[in-house]
Amino acid sequence: MPPFSFRRHAGWWAAVALLLSLVSLDAQAIPAYARQTGSACADCHAGAYGPGLTPYGMRFKLNGYTDTDGQGTKIPVAVQLTETHTAPATAPSSTSLTEGDLYLAGRLTENVGGYIKVEADHTGHNTYNTRLGNLDLRFVAKELKLGGKDLTLGVSVNNAPGFQDPIAALPNASFIAPGGVTGTLLNLGSPNSPTNRVIGATVYALYDKVWYAEAGTYRSLAAGTQDELGYNRNGDPGKLSDTGYFRFAYMKDMRRQFFSAGLVGLTTKRRLPHAAARDDIDDLGYDLTYQYLGNREHIIQASYVNIYERRDYGQRLPSPVLPGTLEPKRGSARDQTASLSYTFRQSYGVQLSHLKSTGSSSDARYPPFGNPDATSNLYTIFWTPFGRDDSWITKGNLKLAATWFRFTRFNGRGSNVFGAPPGVKGVDPGDFNAFSISASLAF
Amino acid sequence: MKLPFPTHLPARLLAAGFITGSLLASLPAAAGDAKAGQDVFKSECAECHAVAEGRNKKGPSLFGIVGRKSGSVAGYEYSDALKNIGWTWTPEQLHTYLSQPAKKANPGTKMKYDGLDNAKDLDDLLSYLATLH
Repeated sequence: MPPFSFRRHAGWWAAVALLLSLVSLDAQAIPAYARQTGSACADCHAGAYGPGLTPYGMRFKLNGYTDTDGQGTKIPVAVQLTETHTAPATAPSSTSLTEGDLYLAGRLTENVGGYIKVEADHTGHNTYNTRLGNLDLRFVAKELKLGGKDLTLGVSVNNAPGFQDPIAALPNASFIAPGGVTGTLLNLGSPNSPTNRVIGATVYALYDKVWYAEAGTYRSLAAGTQDELGYNRNGDPGKLSDTGYFRFAYMKDMRRQFFSAGLVGLTTKRRLPHAAARDDIDDLGYDLTYQYLGNREHIIQASYVNIYERRDYGQRLPSPVLPGTLEPKRGSARDQTASLSYTFRQSYGVQLSHLKSTGSSSDARYPPFGNPDATSNLYTIFWTPFGRDDSWITKGNLKLAATWFRFTRFNGRGSNVFGAPPGVKGVDPGDFNAFSISASLAF
Repeated sequence: MKLPFPTHLPARLLAAGFITGSLLASLPAAAGDAKAGQDVFKSECAECHAVAEGRNKKGPSLFGIVGRKSGSVAGYEYSDALKNIGWTWTPEQLHTYLSQPAKKANPGTKMKYDGLDNAKDLDDLLSYLATLH
């Protein structure tokens, strides 16, 4: 039986590598915020390292990154370096400085603050691709009153729908999302995802400390602009128009516990490629989160996100199975993420995630089986020795993490996912598994 | 009925005990459990206040808070409201301040806190704050 060919499926490996980089290595730490507020990393992040937020971190984000200790102006710059050893199940292992990040992050005035990430990503052979990562610039009006209740109003200009969300459970904020051959627009792991390739503005309000509402719009960047910002034209999300984003959530901070329940929606008309017929796409999702914080000795965080996408395709594709017929005009996709983490003394942690991507069948769009379903898991253990009030360094940190990423289903199959003919060894979902060890340093 | 104290104690000693008891009752900090108060501190206060001397966060360091004049930590930029009020952070004053929304106790303060309505937690917290010196 011929052996599995790495070269033959190099494209898929590239996609899986990208997914791995998205979901497992995208630690976010911005010590510039700690220097600005006098806080320790652990005040905003349960594990003293991002991207997950404590309720205090959510308030800092809602306040437009403007809170301060009042001790004068701080330089709003932070740096993060990540070295990773990756050991894929059926591909050569590698060790490299996978990412270098420069953050311009902090307050400009009492009402204006922001977050800009410029990253250099290792692309192999000692070369790096520099690109503009997440962007979130805010204007916020704080400490307003409406009907005797607290009110915060803000505007966010950002480049990834959901990144700006305070609860940070949506895929673009948590950086945890299912991968597969299709996915919703709100999922940063979907093919041709809008993430970082659009620009938009949203208006948000937090009322009575618990009711959160947000609405806004986005437009896609021209392919040439995406290229200039460091993004390959192959991932162009297409031309988006009539795009609307909304978010509504209840979030309750009980100091020792936190609970939230929210709805999210994204609607757009997409031409992909730009000369193609227009697809009407609507995402509607909900998310639930819970945090047990207690005295911060033992912290448990759980979240579940379910996003459904309805598609009305502009062009019906010919069926490859029934010649002379067309495939249905309508389709759908659904992304689900369940995540559970435990953190001990804000230094030692474990995170388990179950990621599931499903969609309506289409022989033309999802060869060879017409089934896009994919299921994967992500298991991470980590250690962050610094970043707490009582640690040697309070406003910087090191994160050592070991991550195991595994696929159990791909292209709707638990084995032979590319439909290799009899006598040829097929590719199993487990062939995409990978183990990695990473060290991230933020200062 | 059995009395809760021996009847042969001199009246003067009984009176002294009564006075001491009354004083202790008026000092909420003495009634709490400082160890439990440290946990309350971590969940209610630690995000904005450090306990290390000279380390200010969004709020000033709470090192030596009990007995300190309000608005007196060097290097911390207080609101005018707190700077000018002239309090001393006695256990009673802290009890009053922390048992209600900060902006109600001291209109104009920068502190955003809704108050601690659990009496035991507040007593424990005050006991813990009294150890910070």
